[in-house]
Amino acid sequence: MPGTPLDPAAMARRAAQELFSGAVAALGPGLPRRLPSQLPASGGVWFLADGGAVGIQGPESDTNAVDADGNTVGLLSGGAFTGVVEIAGILRGGHTDLAFLQPAQVAANGDFVHWTTAATPGLFAPGPAVDMAYGSSRVVALMPHQSQQGRSNIVERCGLPVDGAGQIDIIITDVAVMTVGPAGLELLELAPGWTVDEVTAITDAPLTVSSDLKEMTFDVPVLKPPDKIYPTAVDALRDVPEGATINVDGFAGPGGMAHYLMVGLRDLGVKGLKLISNTAGVARVSGFGTPNIIDHSILVENNQVAKATASYPVSPSASRPSAFEEAYKRGETELEVVPQGTLAERLRCGGAGVAAFYTPTGAGTLLAEGKEARTIDGKEYILEMGLRADFCIIRGHKADTLGNVVYKGTSRNFNPVMATTAKITVVEVDEIVAPGQLGPEEIVTPGLYIDRIVVRPSDFSAYL
Amino acid sequence: MTSLAGKERLPREVVAMRVAKELPDGAYVNLGIGIPTLVSSFVPEGRTVFYHSESGILNCGPIAEEGEEDIDLINAGGQYLQSVGGMSFFDSAEAFAMIRGGHVDVTVLGSHQVSATGDLANWMLPQRGVGNVGGAMDLATGARGVIVAMEHTDRNGEPKIVQECTFPLTGKGCVYLIVTDLAVIECDGQGLTLKEVAPGWTPEEVQQLTGAKLTISPDVGEFEL
Repeated sequence: MPGTPLDPAAMARRAAQELFSGAVAALGPGLPRRLPSQLPASGGVWFLADGGAVGIQGPESDTNAVDADGNTVGLLSGGAFTGVVEIAGILRGGHTDLAFLQPAQVAANGDFVHWTTAATPGLFAPGPAVDMAYGSSRVVALMPHQSQQGRSNIVERCGLPVDGAGQIDIIITDVAVMTVGPAGLELLELAPGWTVDEVTAITDAPLTVSSDLKEMTFDVPVLKPPDKIYPTAVDALRDVPEGATINVDGFAGPGGMAHYLMVGLRDLGVKGLKLISNTAGVARVSGFGTPNIIDHSILVENNQVAKATASYPVSPSASRPSAFEEAYKRGETELEVVPQGTLAERLRCGGAGVAAFYTPTGAGTLLAEGKEARTIDGKEYILEMGLRADFCIIRGHKADTLGNVVYKGTSRNFNPVMATTAKITVVEVDEIVAPGQLGPEEIVTPGLYIDRIVVRPSDFSAYL
Repeated sequence: MTSLAGKERLPREVVAMRVAKELPDGAYVNLGIGIPTLVSSFVPEGRTVFYHSESGILNCGPIAEEGEEDIDLINAGGQYLQSVGGMSFFDSAEAFAMIRGGHVDVTVLGSHQVSATGDLANWMLPQRGVGNVGGAMDLATGARGVIVAMEHTDRNGEPKIVQECTFPLTGKGCVYLIVTDLAVIECDGQGLTLKEVAPGWTPEEVQQLTGAKLTISPDVGEFEL
């Protein structure tokens, strides 16, 4: 007789070895929800609950967070409640490093069946598993090797309709660890007391045995929150490459604009920037600010801007042109005008992994030219593409060290939407606080979106 | 024409006052820049209207007193607002989902041109070559009702109400009511009906300054304030 299968806690500990510091991990129902209990609540990893929480921890009683099984769980100090749409965006938008799922079946080609069983044919019950699998960089199947009836859950080909095609990267069971590759399944690790032959005998798919076959271990990694705090704006933006696409926050006036980061970008002098922003710098020429307020104009005047994508690119008054309008008229910059709501939605979709969407805004106008049009329920719509960027500079009020951000009043505007869209998002805040100082219901931008934090120096002036 | 050019027209405040009468009790309303901004000062006694602004605020308070300006509390026109109970803040995607999703009852916009079929052209003057669309297209398309509040003619005396817009469009067939310094005109998507004229003006005189054919309502009267 083979050895004893591993208990769920041991399986969870082995699965936790797949995590790394700063990882974002989605936990599906079943065994995956046991992971947080196996790790200290260090803030070194963000566990997502599809019910609408970031930063869930092990079971506790006095909390409003529930995991994928509907169990009450604890929330990390610095965790946030987000709602389900935001979680779906975190998954679909490519912000998730790992998904841990407990499929009913996994095939040698990485296909998986989630909750559908032989007893429920035709009844699809994928729950959050499909979004988790397709949205995550790496998908871990954490599951019993055999069903209760003693059939192999690892199969050559799924016998039931699949919930995800070719999605599983690694399978951790109560007897073995296998990876899914182009050539099928490779056996990497065995549970203590098990042999290759014993595992092969209960597996209904061909297994290649790794030349580096090991016994499973159960130490959990030490995970630390990444250090996101940068001393100055220049330090936080030093690696912005020439020609980068940069989201710049702000509505139009002095509020909600990362003036200090903008000065840093100007001081670095990097050229050919493509700005995505509500305006292309009008605060200096409109009624919002004063003539010497810092806005995008400092970048335009420093010959750094190759293109602006904006809804309100020029001065409200033709007789008081902005620096951008003058550069545009000289042919030095390109301009793409986008309706403000379409701009916001293009950013939201870009950040949430939606490639494009149909909107009625702009149908039949100049701005619909060259865009696919489609009539849906008798109404005309045009296809608009999601937007993403290389860098994003936003303005918050406070951040905690994990990167959670809160905003002030109407200065929120484009900031939280833009924060989701860039490879590197940098936030400028008035104050950095400890995790827990911003309440989970108060946090607007969960920390997993934020890569770098700088404090606007107290002696910094937003005026030239 | 020349005799009409110098004839007295209604002040902007009266235009705003007339528009305000159109706002239903409990309505969620978005006001554009210009005359529309003035509308909030004239909402009839006993009616409550909730103002939405693209800057990400619902239930905007009155304009802030001088010296009380807060850069984190503005409307879409860049005016500083007073902090009031019941206001809420949200991001730009949410602000426009409210508009596009049909949750804003009425928007009042200024315009360069309005056509006989209710087309709106208010975001770009062709001679400038660039324009600020801002939230205008979203409002024109998404708000449940679009009222235009504007001067009847442009600064050269040319009609702003035209058979077909010659300026780039903001939205097609979206305007249902036009209030100018001369007239109140209903628009049903097919044509324009003159409902009210400014004191001292005849329907024929208004027609002379209008670039589209007006059907004169049988019960046409003076501005009702």
